[in-house]
Amino acid sequence: MGYLGEFEQLILFALLQLGEEAYGVSIREAIERRTGRLVSSGAIYTTLGRLEERGLVRSRVGEPVSGRPGRPRKYYALRPAGARALREAYETIQAMAGGLLPRLDELARAEAGEA
Amino acid sequence: MGGAGGPRPPKVLRWIASLLIRAPDAAFIMDDLGELYERDVAGGMPRWRARWRYGRNLLGSAWSVWGAGVRGRGRGGVSWLDFKLGFRMLVKYPGLTLIGGLAMAFAIWVGVGTFEFISQVVYPTLPLEEGDRIVAIELWNVEESRQEPRTLHDFIAWREELRTVEVLGASRTVERNLITGDGVGMPVDVAEMTASAFRLAGVAPLLGRTLQRADEAPGAPGVVVLGYDLWQRRFGADPGVVGSTVRLGREQATVVGVMPEGFAFPVSHRIWAPLRLDPLEYERGQGPALRVFGRLAAGVSLEEAQAELTALGRRAAAAYPQTHEHLRPRVMPYAKSVIDPSGWESLGILSINGFIIALLVLVCGNVALLLFARAAARESEIAVRSALGASRGRIIGQLFAEALVLSAVAAAVGLAGASLGLRWGMGILESTVLDGYALPFWFHETLSPASVVYTLALTLLAAAVAGVLPALKVTGRELAGRLRQASAGGGGVRFGGVWTAVIVAQVAFTIFCPLISLVLQREMSEIRNRELGFPVEEFLSVVLRTDEDQAMGLADDSARAERQARARATFLELKRRLAAEPRVSGVTFAATPPGASHPWRRIEVDDGGAVPPWEPPGYRVRVASVAVDYFDVLGAAITAGRGFEPADVEAGRAVVVNSFFVDSILGGHNPIGRRVRYLPDRSEARSPAAEPEPWYEIVGVVDDLRLDDGASSLIAGLFHPVAPAAAGANGMVVHVRGDPASFAPRLRRIAADVDPTLRLERLVPMEQFRREYLRFYGFWSWLIGGLTLIALVLSWAGIYAVLSFNVARRTREIGVRVALGGNARRIILAVFRRPILQVGLGVIVGALLIVLLHIITSDPGREPMAWQIAQIAVYAAVMMGVCMLACIVPAWRALHVEPTVALRAE
Repeated sequence: MGYLGEFEQLILFALLQLGEEAYGVSIREAIERRTGRLVSSGAIYTTLGRLEERGLVRSRVGEPVSGRPGRPRKYYALRPAGARALREAYETIQAMAGGLLPRLDELARAEAGEA
Repeated sequence: MGGAGGPRPPKVLRWIASLLIRAPDAAFIMDDLGELYERDVAGGMPRWRARWRYGRNLLGSAWSVWGAGVRGRGRGGVSWLDFKLGFRMLVKYPGLTLIGGLAMAFAIWVGVGTFEFISQVVYPTLPLEEGDRIVAIELWNVEESRQEPRTLHDFIAWREELRTVEVLGASRTVERNLITGDGVGMPVDVAEMTASAFRLAGVAPLLGRTLQRADEAPGAPGVVVLGYDLWQRRFGADPGVVGSTVRLGREQATVVGVMPEGFAFPVSHRIWAPLRLDPLEYERGQGPALRVFGRLAAGVSLEEAQAELTALGRRAAAAYPQTHEHLRPRVMPYAKSVIDPSGWESLGILSINGFIIALLVLVCGNVALLLFARAAARESEIAVRSALGASRGRIIGQLFAEALVLSAVAAAVGLAGASLGLRWGMGILESTVLDGYALPFWFHETLSPASVVYTLALTLLAAAVAGVLPALKVTGRELAGRLRQASAGGGGVRFGGVWTAVIVAQVAFTIFCPLISLVLQREMSEIRNRELGFPVEEFLSVVLRTDEDQAMGLADDSARAERQARARATFLELKRRLAAEPRVSGVTFAATPPGASHPWRRIEVDDGGAVPPWEPPGYRVRVASVAVDYFDVLGAAITAGRGFEPADVEAGRAVVVNSFFVDSILGGHNPIGRRVRYLPDRSEARSPAAEPEPWYEIVGVVDDLRLDDGASSLIAGLFHPVAPAAAGANGMVVHVRGDPASFAPRLRRIAADVDPTLRLERLVPMEQFRREYLRFYGFWSWLIGGLTLIALVLSWAGIYAVLSFNVARRTREIGVRVALGGNARRIILAVFRRPILQVGLGVIVGALLIVLLHIITSDPGREPMAWQIAQIAVYAAVMMGVCMLACIVPAWRALHVEPTVALRAE
């Protein structure tokens, strides 16, 4: 299945959330809304291209949008392999993080106190 | 993509995006960028902020796409990681970065500056509207192979008949005194120009108007248009200058306009007056020298224009065979009529680029040595990478990328300084070679796109030499086989014949190059300290010109004599007025001012007592034409015979020589009564019909008076007596009490009072000549000195790195030999043999180059060879010192390796 980087995971979660409406702009906004992180359009497309090469997502070019001139949008969706990989990655993190959050908070508070 | 009629990002940003974002999904990325911008604006965001967000997204996208691209190609030659590694290497090895980077930056700086200047000479572009269609028309005398500039009648015919060239205009340059309100004259080159020339240039005036056709009519009121610099300097940028009156020589003129900064058509002019020439006043083929220009008509090529002109030329030749039989009109791009290097000259000028590239390769060869040492030190890393499957191309790509990072940083530094260097170089050129004249208006100090592209090429070349060469060597033989050695801690890379050659060349260069710099420095200090035979710091020098010099078409002898008599009367009146000034202690005349370099000729001496000429035929001497009271005013002592008397001018047979002449040509024998005469030039000598020159009698000897600027070894001098204003004797020399520069304004005022048309050119303290030469020498000395210093540091660092690395490689071998009971002395000899041979060979080659230089440039009177031998010895000692230092430290360490350690490792 292979390793999924953090940014790849963010994109795959965005696809999951957006469903049929996942394209460059909506993905960017979803990430920005949920994480507060501003990412470049180029980074989204190059990552999606890489994930598509690995068989984790698929793309389709949609119908022209009414009232919008020019090119139709390119929509992306999770493939089953992508869903499995994302689940695995998430579970890995959860497994590692299980029960550790209170300790993490404690440490963070201690650091803040020192500061 | 924005909605129909919705807000769209600025075109320039979209254009940059299309340029930078190159990927299969580029179109979708661009659409997204546009849509986000549209949403930002529609959401009430200020446009500047939306644009800023668009730009940030654009750059981030370009970065991601580019990074993905190089990652994708990473399996092949160069990967993104390599560049990152390259940056890391810059930081990790600061010494190498500094030395190698500075050296490369210097070479690129010199290279790109030279390229830009040469391009402007060989491929000029006029910064005017349709500048590439502006042409010049000349008449070429095919029989005498020279240009015929007296084209007044032809210009009028061309203006009426020529169809392929439009807006035909003409100009001529006259020197005039510009006299403004304060009454003090300032010599200026006036472009007398047809009004059409302003239309041709297509530049609007800054103030007022340009010249008009009506201004050219005979009897029209005098008008003048000022250049920007002149307006700034002479008129204090007065906005009300239009309408004021000035005098150009004897004529009054009203200022009608001021041109904008940079306008200097036709060549480097800064003041323009109408061209008023009546063809009825001149015979065909007579009249002033004119420059004729125009613009190719729409759709007409240069060849078509030439065809029409050739037809007109044939007709003129048939109609006026006496004057036009051998004249052929020719049309050419305008700039070529001012500076036209012939095919071979162009090639010669362009080949300078070749030398510069050779310099770059040499410098990068040095950097390559350093990088090689660095690459060899990372041999284990390279071998492991190779073992893990990296191809040779991949490793070479990595080392190339590292060198490219270094050369790119160097190129950025070089490019940033190139424009500054260009300005500096052009300033030096104008003040020295061009004698204060400005370069034609199309020379500029900014870099052209071609130069930037050339810099990129130089950058790649530098990276290729400095990166690929060491990489090829390091990855060359049995890379995989070296893995074992590397893992065992030993070294497999050897510095072979190529590197020996590089070291030898470097050592030779480091011996030879400082010598040139030192010679220049020594020359400068000699010029500074040399006595010219008179107190040069107390004199002012000025060249006097009257408008009579410019009169054309009055070529007969009586007119010339009359003109000369008028000029002489003016000169003598000025001398009388100056002599009455309390600060002036003497005034005299000479064709060339003392303290400047005088022309030289070959002479022969009547038989008896002369030393044999060392460069036959005859002897080379400098020749001066001076007024009778010249020696008195300069305070130069007559040590034998007598000085000049007024009768000598008329008779024209008496000459005075300087003491250098007596010593170097007559071997110190009594010169009085001896005779000398000029030998024909070498080119004339072939003609047996040439009449021998008359004999002149030496009547006196002047003590130690030099006829050069102090920089030349040719100091034997011969003086002829002349009357002021005759035989070019229009240089005036004024002995001033106190600071001569402070007397210059007073002198100008008196001259304007004596004759307003009298032009004072190059009114400078005589010390100035020496200063200008020093500046010229200083420029070269600085350039060569800088180059030398960089070469020296680089070479020492390179030689040290390579030699010490080489010795360090043999640590184990030395340790084993010691462990086996080897003699330490013999081991040291074995270690030192090769480096010493390399450096020694370099010293010999460098010494041979110096000897060669000495043979080529040797002159009697120059310092003996011993001086150079001493220098070679000093440099050889320094180089050997570097060599020893490089060997001693690693050798010492190797000799003290524990034998058990060395044996166990083996």
